[in-house]
Amino acid sequence: MNLKKILTKDSILPELKADTKKGVIEEMISLLVAAGKFSGKTAAVQAVLAREEKMSTGMQNGIAIPHGKTDAVDQLVAAVGIHHAGIDFAAMDAKPSHIFILTLSPENRAGPHIQFLAEISKVLSRPNLREKLLNAASTDEILNLLTV
Amino acid sequence: MTPVTHAPETANVVVQAVQQAAQAHSHTEVMTVLVLQLAMIIICARLGGFLFQRFLKLPSVLGELVSGMVIGPYALGARIPLPGIGPLFATQTIGLPVSSELYAIATVASIVLLFLSGLETDLRTFLRYSVVGSIVGLGGLLFSFILGDLCAVWFGLAPSFMHPTALFLGTISTATSVGITARILTEKHKMSSPEGVTILAGAVIDDVLGIVVLAIVVGMAKVESSGVAMEWSHIGIIAAKALSFWLVCTALGLLLARKLTGSLKRLGSPEVIVSVSLGLAMLLAGLSEMAGLAMIIGAYIMGLSLSRTDVVQELQNRLQGVYDMLVPIFFCVMGMMVDFSAMRHALVFGLIYSAVAIFAKIIGCGLPAYLTQFNFRGSLRIGLGMLPRGEVALIVAGIGLSSHAIGQDIFGVAILMTILTTMIAPPLLVRSFRGESGLKDHIQVTEEKEETFTLEFPSMDIAEFLMQRLVRAFQREEFFVNRLHLEMEAYQVRKDDLSFTLTREDGRITISVPSDQQYVARLMIFEELLSLSDLLEASKNMKSLDVMGSELIGNLFC
Repeated sequence: MNLKKILTKDSILPELKADTKKGVIEEMISLLVAAGKFSGKTAAVQAVLAREEKMSTGMQNGIAIPHGKTDAVDQLVAAVGIHHAGIDFAAMDAKPSHIFILTLSPENRAGPHIQFLAEISKVLSRPNLREKLLNAASTDEILNLLTV
Repeated sequence: MTPVTHAPETANVVVQAVQQAAQAHSHTEVMTVLVLQLAMIIICARLGGFLFQRFLKLPSVLGELVSGMVIGPYALGARIPLPGIGPLFATQTIGLPVSSELYAIATVASIVLLFLSGLETDLRTFLRYSVVGSIVGLGGLLFSFILGDLCAVWFGLAPSFMHPTALFLGTISTATSVGITARILTEKHKMSSPEGVTILAGAVIDDVLGIVVLAIVVGMAKVESSGVAMEWSHIGIIAAKALSFWLVCTALGLLLARKLTGSLKRLGSPEVIVSVSLGLAMLLAGLSEMAGLAMIIGAYIMGLSLSRTDVVQELQNRLQGVYDMLVPIFFCVMGMMVDFSAMRHALVFGLIYSAVAIFAKIIGCGLPAYLTQFNFRGSLRIGLGMLPRGEVALIVAGIGLSSHAIGQDIFGVAILMTILTTMIAPPLLVRSFRGESGLKDHIQVTEEKEETFTLEFPSMDIAEFLMQRLVRAFQREEFFVNRLHLEMEAYQVRKDDLSFTLTREDGRITISVPSDQQYVARLMIFEELLSLSDLLEASKNMKSLDVMGSELIGNLFC
């Protein structure tokens, strides 16, 4: 799967400012709205929070993959955010989360939505890449690391 | 008016009435015998299939075939008396060993069988996946056809390579029946292995090209049996005719199938879609016979055309009952046609032909695999996986027998070969999968181990329900989900270079996936488990059981 088709420079935040779970989700969704990917921020935030309520998407080793299904989007959209200090995202290993991959996909439309998350999770399973992402200074560098 | 002038007319009327009554009686008798024969066949075939599957761990088709041999006119069938009629399965003096009525039902069954085979053909996946698979399939087909054909020539059963008997022996030897291999690979969690994927892709080309070969061979046999001397120009014309029929019908079918099913769907009746589709399969079967080819070719083309429409699942589900009822009759009738006395003379030839059929697939499929990315071990696994012959070999043999291209002895040989290859493949295949990777060293570097994880559920119903949801979820993610016809519920899930297997047995769901591809499988299943918990949560909002129960049955005994 070609991650470049989904990930673009304008959907990457090298320094997240929020310091709560809800705040991070809102900040990343706002970025996607500002980039003109879709409108309907409220519905999107609700969809992601509803999924988080079922079970947190905070994984291990500082990675979180918040996602949701909403008809506010026509197709899969994704954002990447880095939080250097790390926040409590109720991760599986109880460690703070630093790298966030947020995706939104339409409610009833077929497409490789989970597959995108799976592909990016596979990329993030490499410890040295995670290290490089945390040290990346620009959106270009982050995009390059994730898509090459 | 005098009574005398009317006497001859009255006599004629009486004679006609007596003839009609006799005819009606004869029809009734024929139908009575047919119904009694079918009763015997349906019960014995099903029980035979069940016993083979349950106790011998062999495909049910073998049990059905052997049941037919046991109850057929050359064995017990001739000794079961029907009062006032004679033996239940009397040996026919002319033509086939079974009655025309019974053979007609077997023919309809073979049309249903090939229609469903066509529906199951995963053309898109095949086209996307496998260069190696197509070379393997083609290699197996060529080796099997040429060696099978030459066998007849070497043993003096046919004067030349192009003689119908030789051509039929070649064609019978080609068609792999991959069902048993799929079952073993699934049980051993090897379906997603490079060998497993290659075998399944190879079996698709084997099916498609096998039908094209049959089309050409039947056409040639028909010309030959009409007494016309076969010349190369004839062969060219027949081959061109068969290929053009195949190509035109398949192209038209693939082009029009979606429009047709789209129009039918507007009627809002799945029953109409299924009936019209089956009707069209029969229509094309008849047309292909009229065009000088075999009926099953038309049925297969119609199935193949509809395999890319969105009603394919509906068709498969609704026709499964028809298949389950009719197809065992077909295999049983094929078994009934085995004449043991005729076969006795051809037993040595049968054993040699079977050995050649085994050798041909192992070399024909193994060699191309060896020349591409597999080592000796992997190539042997692929050759053994392509070894079993089955339903198509039997249908081709039946066509050969009914068209007199082959005799009772060769028909028996074909049955023997089918049984031997189907019996010999499973233990060899299981043994061959022990040990190291089947890929060549330089490819093994990129090969990953396979992960298998199992989820246990408290009941079979929950596991079954989740399995269906998973299938839909994978389809929504644009995966190709291919149901494998095994005793357990099993699916092969594929997309680009991703390939894994989902199986369910009772309340257990098992996923076998190459470890570098496990992310998507794990995440998908996890999300579905979450949505299942949503459903369970939502069920708590239903009215209480007491309230619903009293609404439903509270007043029943007032």
